[in-house]
Parts: sequence; C-alpha cells; structure tokens
Amino acid sequence: MRRLCQISVLAILIGVPVYSQNPNNWSPSLIIHGHLPPPTMSRVTGDTWSFAIGDFHLTHPVAFVENLLSTKEFYLPLFISVLIPLSITLFFGRVFCSWLCPIGFLLELTMKVNSIFRRRMDLTYEVRIRDFRYVILTLLLLYGFIFAFPMVSIFDPPHVLGRELIYLFTHQQLSLSGTVLLLLIIFFEIFFTPRAWCRSFCPSGGGLSLLGIKRLWRIRINPQNCISCKKCDGACPYGLTPSNLAAHKGFAWAMCDNCGLCRDICPTGAISYSYTLKSHQAAQMR
Amino acid sequence: MIGAVTFLPLRRSETVLRPPGATPDFPARCIRCGRCAEACPYDSIRFLGIASGILVHTPYIDPLQTPCYLCQERGHDGKNRPVSKFLRCGEVCPTGALQRIVNDKETLSMVPKRLKSGTAVLDRRLCLAWQYNFCGECYFNCPLKDKAILACPPGVHTVAGGIRPYVDPVYCIGCGMCTYVCPVRKNVAESVMLRDMKPNFFEERYGALVHKLLVRSGDLVNLPAIRVTGKSY
Repeated sequence: MRRLCQISVLAILIGVPVYSQNPNNWSPSLIIHGHLPPPTMSRVTGDTWSFAIGDFHLTHPVAFVENLLSTKEFYLPLFISVLIPLSITLFFGRVFCSWLCPIGFLLELTMKVNSIFRRRMDLTYEVRIRDFRYVILTLLLLYGFIFAFPMVSIFDPPHVLGRELIYLFTHQQLSLSGTVLLLLIIFFEIFFTPRAWCRSFCPSGGGLSLLGIKRLWRIRINPQNCISCKKCDGACPYGLTPSNLAAHKGFAWAMCDNCGLCRDICPTGAISYSYTLKSHQAAQMR
Repeated sequence: MIGAVTFLPLRRSETVLRPPGATPDFPARCIRCGRCAEACPYDSIRFLGIASGILVHTPYIDPLQTPCYLCQERGHDGKNRPVSKFLRCGEVCPTGALQRIVNDKETLSMVPKRLKSGTAVLDRRLCLAWQYNFCGECYFNCPLKDKAILACPPGVHTVAGGIRPYVDPVYCIGCGMCTYVCPVRKNVAESVMLRDMKPNFFEERYGALVHKLLVRSGDLVNLPAIRVTGKSY
C-alpha cells in the first residue's frame, strides 16, 4: 500500500510534465504564415510542493508557512489549499515523508544498494550526524522573513526532483543547483550513511516533524506480546528504538514518520498504531 | 500590498520578463513551485538559473526563443480564440504571485501597469518598415493588433497603406510576440551568406535587407529592432 502510494507519486511527477509539454518546434517563419502551434493543456499540474487538479489545490504546509513569512500577508486561497495536508500532518505526523515523498522512496531503494556495498566491500563509514533539520529550517525561514525571499523550495529534494523533471521534459535541460543537490544526496546515501538527508538535513521534513509533534496517531507496544527481540530497532530507518519508547527524550520522537516498518517486522504483532493523546514517554510509563 | 518588503541582496542590472500578471512583490510571493511552466499551453515559461543568484527557479519568458502567446489559439477561420477563461499561468498560481487575468482582448489590453510583463520599445533606426517600407510583421502578428501596435503613429497617414509600426505603451502587455517575429536578427542577416544551407521563408524574404541594414548600422546595436523591457527583479 505504501509502495503503491510512492510509485504513483513518482508516476505523477513524470507523467504530468510528459503530458503537459508542447512537443511542437515553432519558428517565426511559421508564425508569419499564420500558424500558431496547437496548445497542450493539462488540468493536473504540480508536484509535491504544490499540486492542483483543476481548481482543487493542495500545498505543502512548509510552503504555506514560508509564504506567510516572506509576504507578511495572509492569502486565503493558499490557506484553503493547505488545510487538508496540514490537518493530515497534525493528526498523523510526518506521513508525507513515508507515504508520498519520491526521494524517500528512492532513498529506500539506495539503502538496499548501500547494504550490498557494506557486505561486499567492507565499507564501515557510519557517520553519525546530529539533527540539523530544525536549524536549517529556521535559518531558511529567517532569511525569507528578512529578505522576502522564499528559499526552502530550493532545498526540498522531492520538489527539486519534480522541477528537474519539468525542466527535462518541457525545455530539455536541467538546472545546475537541483541536479547537484540530488546527486550529492544520492552519492552520500550510497557510500556513507543511509537516510542521512531525511534524518539530519531535510528542512521541509523538519517542518513537518515540528507540525506533527503533537500528533494523535502513534505507535504503541503491547508489553504482553513483546519478546524483546529488538528487530524493530534495526528496521527503523531513522535509528529510533521502538522497543524502548521512553529512551528518546524531547524532540526525538517527532522524527518518527509512521512508516510502519517496525510493525511489519515485528514477529509477534506487538506493535500497533492507535489514536492516543499521550506522548510516547507517557505511554511507556503506563 | 500590505508591508511586503522586497529587498534584493543581489540586484540584477538587466530586466527580466515575467509572465503576465506578475505582481510588484513577485519574488516574495513566488514559492518556486513551477506550475506556471507546466500549465503554459505553449511552454513559453522558463526558469532562471543559478547565475541569477537568489532569483533562481523563478519563471521568466524569453521572447527570442518562445514568446507568450497570451493563451490564444488559431482557429480554422484564421482568427485567434482564447484557450481558457483566464491566462493559464495566473489561473494555476497558488500564491497569487501571478494574478488572474481574464482572457479576452478588452481585458488584456487594459491590464493595469503593475501587472504587465513589460512594454515593447521600437527602435526606428533598425526597423525595416521605417527604413525600407518592407516589413510590418510585428503589427500583423501582435495579439492585441490595432491596440498595442498601431499601423502608423496616431495622427499620421501613410501613403498606399505602408506600415509604420507604433507601440502604444498604454495597451501593450509585453507578451514578446513582436520580438519573436522581428526579422532584424543576427542569424537572419547571416543566412544570406551561408551557401550550403537552404534558408526558410523568413530568411529568404528578409535576409538580404537585414544584412544591408546591419552592415549600415554597425555592431553596437541592440537586436532585434523591437524589444520588450521587463521588470527589474
């Protein structure tokens, strides 16, 4: 189900530019003969940053926040378009990263490549990087607030990927900054530490984490069924420890994106998702 | 615009031709989603590169490669028809950085100045119609013909229907179609000297005359003869 969502998002990212491109090569000598190129229009536009089917718009919550900060003005249509993603983030947490993000999907694939490298060539680089996401997000938003320039979209890889695909199919070119960013991320993932971008650098993922910090949909462990095999700890792509919910203090559980990998790997079915108003620590205490 | 401060650390010296409907605080409002380029029926909208500093990934129009067709299509009767109710880029813009403009000829010609892409400026010393009485493509192909570009300056009559293009800055929206069809270009002038290439109709018709004009005027001129000056951000 989750794979299906990710693949369909990737298909939309590729399909919309392919459909909306205008394949006609026109020249002034055709114009002065009175021929305009036939128009190609698609009702569906956009990528994960901002998406629309006809007049039904959806916007990334971080895009809304940075627009609010840089224009210092409340634009109602943008707020209406952000309502659905924002409420999903508030209730379910950072599910965009695990269910929709095409870069997350690619990085899950590169994790497998990375593990093959590790086994074959004895690569033992495991760079532990602290969580810089909130710092980067704050700096970018501050920059947008002071200089009135929204900057987060330049460092949001799923949007960069979508934009590169637009460039590629409509104008047959790639932008330098976006390509370099994507290649750097994938290179780092394959040869150094897996999911480093999602864990430590992604500013929009950090924004979604902050929004989903009081989420209602959390993992829970049934202590009767748990046999302490610790398989869930190894399955977590972000290095969290679902076996010991109280181990992480403060912000750490904001990083959980409810991907369900720990639940899938649990041999006894002790891990489940449920609505709860309590935090992870409180749930463990009980 | 309430308190939208636009302060550019890197101010570009040359102008950028934004899509029609761009507000004065466009860089602050644009979230770089790229949907205007996807929605554009003719793929006229391109994006600035990393060379333009922090304006990177904001949309612009390069009229020398693809002009803005103002969302018109040519029907079988040879007349222009609007393809949508609003101009497509403004219709899909989620943040109001590109305002919605109703797509009919009256509204398009009366767009307020702060929402215009730019204004066309004609250099009469380089214009084939003014110099040799042999052109007028900008007048014939202007989407707002007889409003934005007149056949002759107001109050002036030419003999035998000769065309002396005159841009009326009140009505011109800055789509860049005149720049696209203007034959006074380097490659058109050079096409008469290339023996091995078969020139297309455009180059065959204007090549010799443009070559003559450019030899006379020298190299230090801005081509083509009619250019659109955009906004400075």
